[in-house]
Amino acid sequence: MTITLRIVVALASILTAHMILKKIQQSKMVIEDSLFWIFFCGVLIVFALFPIVPKILSEIAGTMTTANFVYMAIIFLLIVKLFHVSVKMSELETKIRNLTQELALYEKENEPKDEK
Amino acid sequence: MSDLLIVIPAYNESENIRWVVKRIIDEFPQYDYVVVNDGSRDNTAEICRSEGFNLLDLPVNLGLAGAFQAGLKYADRKGYRYAIQHDGDGQHRPEYIPDMVKKMEEGYDIVIGSRFIESRKPASMRMLGSNLIQLAIRITTGADIKDPTSGMRLFNRKLIEEFARNLNYGPEPDTVSYLMKQGAKVAEVQVTMDERIAGVSYLTPINASKYMLRMLFSILLIQNFRKRGK
Repeated sequence: MTITLRIVVALASILTAHMILKKIQQSKMVIEDSLFWIFFCGVLIVFALFPIVPKILSEIAGTMTTANFVYMAIIFLLIVKLFHVSVKMSELETKIRNLTQELALYEKENEPKDEK
Repeated sequence: MSDLLIVIPAYNESENIRWVVKRIIDEFPQYDYVVVNDGSRDNTAEICRSEGFNLLDLPVNLGLAGAFQAGLKYADRKGYRYAIQHDGDGQHRPEYIPDMVKKMEEGYDIVIGSRFIESRKPASMRMLGSNLIQLAIRITTGADIKDPTSGMRLFNRKLIEEFARNLNYGPEPDTVSYLMKQGAKVAEVQVTMDERIAGVSYLTPINASKYMLRMLFSILLIQNFRKRGK
């Protein structure tokens, strides 16, 4: 890993962590959802500060260079996150559908009976 | 109307909910209660309706934090001075409520029904988790909470409003730790809890470990960055 890449990775993860914590401070993000991002930033900071870690992992994984391993790790983590977000989105859609139907049924049951 | 509301979040508690609520109605009629059915897939809601229990029926499952918040929104609107979290599985005994209210009147915001003030924690995996959370809270706030994972918590009017109206106020140890750090006064009162009578606990070993990790991470790291409004 070149020194430039290490600096970029470290800066990017510190910035991301800062943004996430700010969202929590503003009560715009649920803590559970922030945990992944804090963990993600933590991993990248470890990679940037101790390049020996991604180097060893890279040798185990068999990637050509350490930088390639870092990219692969980032892509892998993001794919996992994307999968979880998809699942979460389906759950949310189901909940909204149920809620909308419940509300319509509730209004039907409670509407005035004087119509024909 | 009583000035204390017992909030009973219930998710798939058809085997327990009837006697848990009946015990409160029969033995503690001086307190009001509300059952919050958290979108159960069994017939918890039907049981409550047929028995005529005071029920808040959530059409979808929100999880404990959302269900408890619904109960506290109810308490907030109705103007209750105290609200207590009471598990729907029968672990909590209502006879300790008067002690907890008495403690609160000494000037506390939150009173926790604690199993381990006088008695020692048994040595088990779950208690190891409890000790870790206790340590994390001590590191962040400097105060000692002997039973941080106890679900039996009494809140005063100010905290009812705060819990009812904000995000990230789950009824969990990390919220307690955050509130303590931000100046809330928290006390513990010795209670005894029963084992869950029927049904299965959500806390399988895997879930319990995930929960522990989440709590530790949240208490030690994330809660330190939060600010409490007014």
